[in-house]
Amino acid sequence: MTKDFSVESRVERYLDRVRTALQGLPERQIDDIMRELRAHAIELAEGKGIEAALASLGDPVDLAKAYRAESQVVRAECSSSTLVIFLGLRHAGRTRAGRFLATVLYVFGYVYVVALWLAAGDKLFFPSRTGLWYLPGDWKSLALRTNDSPPPGAHELLGWWLIPAAIFAGWVLRYLIDGVAHWWIRRYRQSEDGSHLAKRAN
Amino acid sequence: MATNVSPASQTDKWEVQVRKGCLEMAILASLWPARLYGLEMLDCLERNAGLVLSAGTVYPLLARLKADGLVESEWVDVDVVHPRKYYSLTPAGRRRAIEMAQVWVRFSAGISGLLSPVLKEDIA
Repeated sequence: MTKDFSVESRVERYLDRVRTALQGLPERQIDDIMRELRAHAIELAEGKGIEAALASLGDPVDLAKAYRAESQVVRAECSSSTLVIFLGLRHAGRTRAGRFLATVLYVFGYVYVVALWLAAGDKLFFPSRTGLWYLPGDWKSLALRTNDSPPPGAHELLGWWLIPAAIFAGWVLRYLIDGVAHWWIRRYRQSEDGSHLAKRAN
Repeated sequence: MATNVSPASQTDKWEVQVRKGCLEMAILASLWPARLYGLEMLDCLERNAGLVLSAGTVYPLLARLKADGLVESEWVDVDVVHPRKYYSLTPAGRRRAIEMAQVWVRFSAGISGLLSPVLKEDIA
């Protein structure tokens, strides 16, 4: 079998664009995808021509997005990494609004986690200005203040116990947020039958 | 704001939804008799089920099915130019295919019964 170098060079140019758009996936996985797409394109080009071969794969960036979506959602389902879950959530939802909302809520939840941990750190360096304060007789005034003067007459709860309490509360909140995110992704995948590939399906 | 969408266009969209809903089942079913590589699978789906799919749709879906443990793959070097990645069902994939087939048969039988008066009316 002789090689058609013009076909090969067009296939390689196409694959370069796919590879660029796949950055972030494990290198081994990218190599495997490239090998499969190359084999497909070259074999189909021999029968139907290079145009038909590349057309069957579609736009290289869209194709890479589909791979990334599949891969990131699958990885996020069983990952404890915040970044992996965040990347997976961006694809886990039947509608754009659902995906956006899930991602925003996840980030919003983590803002509270980080705030709790920062409060624990602040207490260490600014013990007199960081704490859980309340005005006697007014429990609605209960507030966590960091690096801020307490209101006149305010009493502090917890004291130095704020540090382990805030760290613990942050971990619990993180556990809950990740749990909800995993539930959302699982629920999406159980109901999922390739629907986010809908626009690519015939 | 209301948009004017023709009934034919709505039917086309609905058909796309139906087809995409069957993709996973169709792919698993195509692998039931024997292992296939990508091009063979596309050909099999078109020939046996009238499903004309693009490779760009099927390959990412195969990657997910593999990650889910429903299919496994193996590279076979036919020659230097034509390595082929063959997919086959795992035991979990076979179980899943059977479950999906059972659900599909029950569902389609029920819907067929519901549709028979509609089709009679259409023929008349």
